[in-house]
Amino acid sequence: MRGKFLKVAVAATATAMLATACGGGGDDNDDSAGQSGGTLRVYNSEPAFLTPSGGDDEPSLYVIRSLYRGLVKYNAESSAVEMDLAESIESDDQKLWTIKLKSGYTFDNGEPVNADSFIRSWNFAAYSPNGQNNGYFMKRIAGIKDVQSTDPDGDGPQKAPEPAAKELSGLKKVDDTTFTVELEAPFSGFPTTVGYPGFFPMAEACVADILACSEKPIGNGPYKMDGSWQRNVAINLVRSDSWNGEPGKPDRIEYRIFADIDAGYAAFQAGELDVLYTVPPARYKEAKATYGDRMHEQPGDSFTYVGMPVYQDNFKDKRVRQALSLSIDRQSIIDAVFDGRFTPATGFVAPTFEGARNDVCKYCTKDVEKAKQLLAEAGGWPAGEKLILWANAGAGHDQWLQAVGDQIKEALGIDYELRVNLQFAEYLETADQKKFTGGFRLGWGPDYPFMETYLYPLYGTGAGSNNSGYSNPEFDAAMKEGDSADSIQAAIPSYQKAEDFVGEDLPVIPMWFNKVGALYSENVDQFVWNAVSDADYAAISLKQN
Amino acid sequence: MGRYVIRRLLQFIPTVLGTMFLLHYLTSLAIQFSGNPVRALFGDRTPSPALLEAITERLGYGDPCLDQKGNPCFGMFLDRLQGIFLNFDFGINLRQREVTDLVADAIPFTLKLLVIAIVFEAVVGIAAGVLAGLRGGSFADYTVKISTVFVISVPIFVLGLIVREFVGVEFGNVLRGQSWIPDVISTGVFSPGFKPDYPWASLIIPGMVLGATSLAVTARLTRTSIMENIRADYVRTAKAKGLTTKRVIGVHTLRNSLIPVITFLGVDIGAAMAGAVVTETIFNVPGIGRLVTMSARTGESSVVIGVVTMLVLVVLVANLLVDLLYAVLDPRIRYE
Repeated sequence: MRGKFLKVAVAATATAMLATACGGGGDDNDDSAGQSGGTLRVYNSEPAFLTPSGGDDEPSLYVIRSLYRGLVKYNAESSAVEMDLAESIESDDQKLWTIKLKSGYTFDNGEPVNADSFIRSWNFAAYSPNGQNNGYFMKRIAGIKDVQSTDPDGDGPQKAPEPAAKELSGLKKVDDTTFTVELEAPFSGFPTTVGYPGFFPMAEACVADILACSEKPIGNGPYKMDGSWQRNVAINLVRSDSWNGEPGKPDRIEYRIFADIDAGYAAFQAGELDVLYTVPPARYKEAKATYGDRMHEQPGDSFTYVGMPVYQDNFKDKRVRQALSLSIDRQSIIDAVFDGRFTPATGFVAPTFEGARNDVCKYCTKDVEKAKQLLAEAGGWPAGEKLILWANAGAGHDQWLQAVGDQIKEALGIDYELRVNLQFAEYLETADQKKFTGGFRLGWGPDYPFMETYLYPLYGTGAGSNNSGYSNPEFDAAMKEGDSADSIQAAIPSYQKAEDFVGEDLPVIPMWFNKVGALYSENVDQFVWNAVSDADYAAISLKQN
Repeated sequence: MGRYVIRRLLQFIPTVLGTMFLLHYLTSLAIQFSGNPVRALFGDRTPSPALLEAITERLGYGDPCLDQKGNPCFGMFLDRLQGIFLNFDFGINLRQREVTDLVADAIPFTLKLLVIAIVFEAVVGIAAGVLAGLRGGSFADYTVKISTVFVISVPIFVLGLIVREFVGVEFGNVLRGQSWIPDVISTGVFSPGFKPDYPWASLIIPGMVLGATSLAVTARLTRTSIMENIRADYVRTAKAKGLTTKRVIGVHTLRNSLIPVITFLGVDIGAAMAGAVVTETIFNVPGIGRLVTMSARTGESSVVIGVVTMLVLVVLVANLLVDLLYAVLDPRIRYE
């Protein structure tokens, strides 16, 4: 089925490979790792920005991870943190971190990757007038409040004043390959966070003209741009000669840009793509039947929940929330609505994470008797009042939410009403302002492979994405204990303790975790999916013929 | 003639301003009622107020009138007009790209698609219409009549999806399995969507889908018009004068019959732009139609206003040209 075009392309790049193979001479000759060479053609949608400070959406990250490299990387299977550009990341008190860099790495324009390039990148992202999306991730570094300022009267058109400082006071250069990071509060998981592309370094020339750098990125990773970004059409990458680390497998990575996944699926069917990292939900069954052995499935980490407005009188009693959760049969909804594409949640941390346990939530399997009993103990549901279930409009959430409502109605006799008229932006604003009047659908994806990412942002008192308004001092204390533990491993028991509080109090009703379903073509020899950073294009090898 | 053109050009001004205000008001209402689109960029992660505010301000959604439901935001509209007409600044999208750049990137694809569609519908449509019109009741006439009814009754998105699935994927895969078929046909023309390696070949089928509905209308119009004119006095005179059939049909009948067809094709450029919204999304063509669809979905008002204003201008100019063409085709029409 392969066209002649591809063979020509492979032949041409294979010659190019011979030329570079001499220079490499590395120790990557692991027999199981697959051969290098060839052109890998992958599906992507249009990225927002190709800079570490700006790109926080999936399509951007997929390209950025091939162009840039950061202090650490994640093990494909265990998601453990491995040093990449960093020699070591150490701290005695989990608050002041000393980062030592390996030397000899450069950007594509020849600038060295040194302590300055990291400090520069993080400062640029954090400074609010720069308007960089990944400024969000700098929130732990000391001095963040001084580089971000808000409009005094809260509501334009008066401009926000210049922030008090231009640079984060917590970042200090020691010498060319060493710098220190001081955090606002101790955080044992800091080394796991810096593998997120928001923490990747940027060249001086890049920060000087950020929009030009997004158009034609100056990376420091195994691949570099081949030509500039062909907007809405394609992004082509080739091996970068300046990269000293473990080389990527394909000689070229071609990102074809699609506006919708259905068109991408059609292109995959026609043999135009080697990797399609997701499948249109409606075609899942068909894809599995057609490409069974070439469909990569594994448990994912994106969490869907029904939030409980703990700030509302009806939801204050935890037994009400427990009763609602006990009335839902998650697996039946997954089978009926989603063709079995999810895994029912029995905890609050993705099953792929270190420290995740199976049975944290004691109220996450259907038990109508217990639900009725708990509801009765709590004094019942106010007569005549409807349970309101919220979801954002136009995103296909009505169907499963209706199933949830039906199951609750059947189990507890509480009538429900769906509110699915808000657009996503207004929906999120309603969540921020805590104005939901009933259960609300939301999701969460981890930012780094550390249990904390599932816990504090969602349930910590006053935390950014704590939309339930949940506040439990014991939970906060357990989190703090974990944050200041001596190591990543030592923190886990504390976080598990914190998760148990959430499992008992149920500020959100856990629903399910996604399953990854990616397709790859016959040209792919070994397909690699990284548990943290998803499809790992640099590690995917192609058949040579 | 000159005065007529000037008068028509002056009429453009209120039309364009009216459209722009309407679009401005609609997109402002959308933001007032469905929230700050910048907040949606962050999804489940709640950004710090400072960051949200800085980005909102930079992208031009910081005006307080956007918080008051129903406020027509006249101040913003005036700023916008000033930007567009004095500085040729259409603003930026949510990803901080100039709208003019976005349009410049997208327009070549849409133009290619439109050229293919218009050529296809004009050439094939008129030929089919002439064939059917000259011999009413013949086999050719029935073939044209039946096939056009079929095409007109199928909505373009259904046609597009069917063609993508069965022509691009299924039939294309059969072709791609045959090594004797040149790549430009098997992986270019029969690709299920636009392909950067074959920028023209891969647009042929999407262009034909886009032109299909109008082709049917063109064929029917030509057919009726020819049937009517073939019995007209001046055609009979021409025949009686002893002119060759070629000349009677080509100059006397066809030329006069094409007036309604040309009108339709002119108006159709606007319709084809609307059709491009659907076709470009289905066949993944990175043109204007896909740009507007995506921007409307994410609430990027500057893009919607900028692009639709340009489309309005295109339609206006096309209509003016059509009106001027009348005078060329029909000597009875004169503009004062």
